[in-house]
Amino acid sequence: MESTRLYGLMAEFDNPADLLAAARAAYAEGYRKMDAYSPMPVHGLAEALGVQKNPLPLIVLLGGLVGCLTAFGMLWAIETIIYPLNVGGRPFNSWPAFIPITFETTILFAALAAVLGMLALNGLPQPYHPVFNAPRFALATHNRFFLCIEASDPKFDLVATRRFLENLPSREVVEVAP
Amino acid sequence: MNGGAVAEFDRFRRRVLAAGAVALAVCAAGAAGNPDQFFRSYLFAYLFWIGIALGCFAIVMLHHLVGGSWGVVIRRLLESGAGTLPVMAVLTLPLLAGLPRLYVWARPEAVAGDELLRHKAPYLNVPFFLGRLAFYFAVWIALAYWLNKWSDEQDRTLRPEVKTRLQWLSGPGLVLYGLTVTFASVDLVMSLEPHWFSTIYGILFMTGEALATIAFVIVALWLLADRKPMSDVLRPTHFHDLGNLMLAFLMLWAYVSFSQFLIIWSGNLPEEIPWYLRRLSGGWGWMAAALLVFHFVVPFVLLLSRYNKQRLRILAAIAGGVLLVRLVDLFWIVMPAFHSGGLAVHWMDVLMPVGIGGLWLAAFTWQLKRRPLLPAEGGY
Amino acid sequence: MAKEGQSGNPAVAEVEAPVIGPGHTYASVTDKISSIVLTRKTPRAWWIGFTITFLLTMLLLYSIGNLLVRGVGLWGVNVPVGWGFDIINFVWWIGIGHAGTLISAILLLLRQEWRTSINRFAEAMTLFAVANAALYPLMHMGRPWLAYWLLPYPNTMGTWPQPRSPLVWDVFAVSTYALVSFLFWFIGLIPDLATLRDRAKNRFVKIVYGILAMGWRGSAIHWQRYETAYLLLAGLATPLVVSVHTVVSFDFSIGIIPGWHATIFPPYFVAGAIYAGFAMVLTLTIPIRSYYGLEDFITMRHVDNMGKILLATGLIVAYGYMMETFMAWYSGSKYEQYMILNRMQGPYKTLYWALIVCNVVVPQLLWSQRVRRNLIALWIISLVVGVGMWLERFIIVVVSLHRDFLPSAWGMYRPTAWDWSTYIGTLGFFLALLFLFIRFLPMISIFEMRTLVPHPAGKARH
Repeated sequence: MESTRLYGLMAEFDNPADLLAAARAAYAEGYRKMDAYSPMPVHGLAEALGVQKNPLPLIVLLGGLVGCLTAFGMLWAIETIIYPLNVGGRPFNSWPAFIPITFETTILFAALAAVLGMLALNGLPQPYHPVFNAPRFALATHNRFFLCIEASDPKFDLVATRRFLENLPSREVVEVAP
Repeated sequence: MNGGAVAEFDRFRRRVLAAGAVALAVCAAGAAGNPDQFFRSYLFAYLFWIGIALGCFAIVMLHHLVGGSWGVVIRRLLESGAGTLPVMAVLTLPLLAGLPRLYVWARPEAVAGDELLRHKAPYLNVPFFLGRLAFYFAVWIALAYWLNKWSDEQDRTLRPEVKTRLQWLSGPGLVLYGLTVTFASVDLVMSLEPHWFSTIYGILFMTGEALATIAFVIVALWLLADRKPMSDVLRPTHFHDLGNLMLAFLMLWAYVSFSQFLIIWSGNLPEEIPWYLRRLSGGWGWMAAALLVFHFVVPFVLLLSRYNKQRLRILAAIAGGVLLVRLVDLFWIVMPAFHSGGLAVHWMDVLMPVGIGGLWLAAFTWQLKRRPLLPAEGGY
Repeated sequence: MAKEGQSGNPAVAEVEAPVIGPGHTYASVTDKISSIVLTRKTPRAWWIGFTITFLLTMLLLYSIGNLLVRGVGLWGVNVPVGWGFDIINFVWWIGIGHAGTLISAILLLLRQEWRTSINRFAEAMTLFAVANAALYPLMHMGRPWLAYWLLPYPNTMGTWPQPRSPLVWDVFAVSTYALVSFLFWFIGLIPDLATLRDRAKNRFVKIVYGILAMGWRGSAIHWQRYETAYLLLAGLATPLVVSVHTVVSFDFSIGIIPGWHATIFPPYFVAGAIYAGFAMVLTLTIPIRSYYGLEDFITMRHVDNMGKILLATGLIVAYGYMMETFMAWYSGSKYEQYMILNRMQGPYKTLYWALIVCNVVVPQLLWSQRVRRNLIALWIISLVVGVGMWLERFIIVVVSLHRDFLPSAWGMYRPTAWDWSTYIGTLGFFLALLFLFIRFLPMISIFEMRTLVPHPAGKARH
C-alpha cells in the first residue's frame, strides 16, 4: 500500500481565514489526526481542530504553590530550627520579613513551570518532524498556512482525502513522506 | 431615559433618602448622649462615601486618558459619582462642629503642652485646615463640573474636539487629584494621631478609594444590567476587564499596605511603630488578620478565575464583599486612634455608614437619571 | 457592534496614528525585519559602533581585573559612605531594565497593540541592563568567586544567610528577575528563530538558528499552548518587575538612615525605574528607527505614547520628592529635617538641584504634543531623564550616608578614576551587547507584527 509509507497529505493556503475554514471543514468531515501550521497564532484554530483542554494554567498554578510553600518552609526552618539568630530582638519567626523571598520564589517556580510545561506539552525540542519534508513547508514560518491530515487517521484515504483537500481553496496539495 | 425607568429611579432615590435620613436622625439623637462617638462614627462613614465619590472622579479622568470599552460602559456611573461631590461638601459641615473632639491639634491646651504639636501648628491649625478643605472641595467640584458639562456637550454634539478637551483636562486634573487627595488624607485621617507620619499614606488612600469605587461600580452595573440600553451592550469581556481592574487595585492596595507595614515594622522606631502596635494588639489584631484574609487572600483567589470574572452575578457578589471589607479597613485605620485599649464597635459605627450612604446614594441616583445610561459616543 | 471595542468612535480612531505603516503583507513584514539579520550587508556604522563599545567592554574587563587583584580599596567607598558607585549604578541599571519588562508584560496584558514593535528590543535591553546591574554587587563583595555563599544551602561553616536582611531578598529578587526576563525573551524569540532558520541561505547559519528554534513548526496546538504560556509569563512578570524594584527600595528603606527610611520608597522607586527605563528605550530606539528605516513599525504613535508614559512616571517621581520633603518637616524629626536641608544646601547641593531640573522641570515639556512628536527634542529629554535618574540614586545613596546621626563621623565621598572607568565600561558593555543583538536576532517580533497585518481584502470572514 502506498499510504503506509506516507506521513500525510498537506494543503497550502494563502491566509488564516481559509485555513480556519479548512480546519473546520476537515473536522466536520470526520478527520481527527491532523494539524494546522501557521506563521502566527490564529485564533480559534486549535479549537477548530478539536483541541479542548489546555492544562498549562493548572501546571503554572501548581508550580507557584510549590514555590511558595518551599520558600516559606525553608525560611521558617532556617530561622526557627536550623540557625535561629537574635537580630535586634525581633522574633525568630519574623514572617513579614519572609514575604519578599517567598514571593520571588513563587514567581520563579511558576515561570519555570510555564516555560518547561509548554515545551514538554509541545514535545520540544524535537530534532526531526516529517512535516518539514514538504517542499514548501519553509513558508509556514513566512507567509503561508498549511493543513496536514495524517495517514494514521482512520478516515484517511489517499484519493478521497486528496480530493477533499483540493476542493478547499488551497493552492496545492502535496504528499508528505514520514 | 424613558418614563418607567425614571419612576423606578425616583422610587429607589426616595427609599434610600428615607433610610439615610432615619439613620442620621437616630444618630443625631444619640449624639446628645455621646457627642464624641457621634463625630468619630461620622468621620469614619464620611470617609468611606467621599472615597467612592473621589474614586469615581479619578477613574473617569483615567479613562479619558487611556480609553477602553470597560470605561465607556461605566462612564455614566463614574460621572454621577463625581457629581455628588457638592453634596459631600455639604456633608463636611457637621464634621467641622466636632474638630476639637476629633483632633488633638485643634485643642489649644493640648498643643501648648506638646512640643511636637507646637512644631506642627503652622500646618495643623483650625483656620488653615478649614482653608485647605475649602480649597480641596473647590478643585474637586470645579473639575467634576467641567468633566460632566463637557461630557453632556459631547453627547449632544458628538464633536471629536470635545473629547480632546476632556483629555486635555484629565491630565492636569489627575495631578490635582493626586495632590489634593494626598493632603486631604493627611489632614482628615493621619492627623488624628498627629505624632505619626508615613510618606506613602496618600497613595494608600488613593488605591483604597479606587478599589472601593470599582467594587461599587460593579455592583451598580449588576443592578442596571437588565435595563434596556445596558442589556444590549454589556458583554462578558466588560465584566472580565472590570474584574481585572478590581484585581489590579486589590493587589495594589495589598502592595502599598504591606510595604508600609514592613518598612515600619523593620525600622521599629519609637515615632512610627506605635501606630501599628495600637492596631495589632487585642481585638484590633484579629481585625487586621481578618483584613489580610478577606481584604486580600479570598477576593484575590476568587478573582484569579476567568470563570468568576466573566459572570456578572458572581463578580458583583465578590465586589459586594470587597465594599464591606473596605469599610472594615477604614474602621481599622480610623478608630484605633480613639480606642487604643481594644476593639470597640458602637452602634453608631454601624448606623452612620447607612445614614450618609443613604444621602449619597440619593444624590448619585439623582445624577444618574438625568442622562442616558450610556454615553452617545459609542465604543462599547 | 461588529466593530472591535478597542478604539471607540471611528472618527477618533482615524486621528490616532497607526501601529503599522500601510501596504504591508505577511511576506513584506518578514522580509523587512529578517533581512537586517540575514541578507543586508552589515553597515559601516555598525562596525564603528561595535568597535567602540567593544573597546569600552575591554575597559570594563581591565577595571574588574584590577579590582580583583588589588581589592575594593580602588573605589572611592569608605566610612561613612560604604555604598558608592557600585550601588548607585546597580540601582540605575536595574531600573533601566524594568521598562523592558513593563513594555512586554504589562502592555500585553492591557492589550496595547502598539507595544508589539518595541517589546523585543526592550526585553533585550532588560537582559543586558540586568547583567550589568548584577555585576556591581558581585564586584563589591570583593571575592566574587564566593558569591554562592549568598544562597541558602547546608554547608560546612554551619551558617545560613539571614532572611531578615533585604540584601538577601535582593539575591532572590535579582536572580529570579534575570532568569524570568531571559525566559520571557527567549520564549518570544522561538517562532522568529524558526523563521530565520527557514529563511537562511547559509548552511551554518541555518543550523545555529535551527538548534535555537528547537524544531518549532507553527502547529496550531503548539501556538495555543505557546500563547497561554506567554500570557501567563506576562502575568507573572508584571508583579515580578514591581517586586524587584520594591526589594531594591527595601535595601534602603528597611534601615533607619534618614533619607532612606521612608514608606514611600517602594512605589517611588518602581515609578523611577520605569521612568529611567522608558527614557533609555527612547534614547536607543529613536536613532535605530531612523537608521534602519523602521518608521513603518515604530510609528509616531509609539513615540508619542512613550513620551506620555515618561511624563506620567516623572510626575510620580516628583510626587515622591514632594512627600519626602513635606514629611521631613511634618515629622518634626531633626535628623529628617537636616537630611533634606543637607540635600538642598549641603556640599552636594549642585547635584540635588541638577536632579530637580533633570527629573522634574525639563520633563514638563512633555505636556506639549509638539514636543512629544519632535524626535530630537524627545531624544534630548530622554537623555536628560537618564542623567537625572542617575543623580537621584547618587543623592539617595551618598548624601544620606555622608552625614548621618553623629557629626564626628561625617565625611565626603569622591568617586575615583576606577569608579568612572567601571561605570563607563558597563555602558560600553551594554551597548556592545545591543549591537550584537541587532545584528544577529530580529529586533522586532516578526510573528507578532504579522498579527497586525490587515487580513487580505475580501477573504476575511470573521
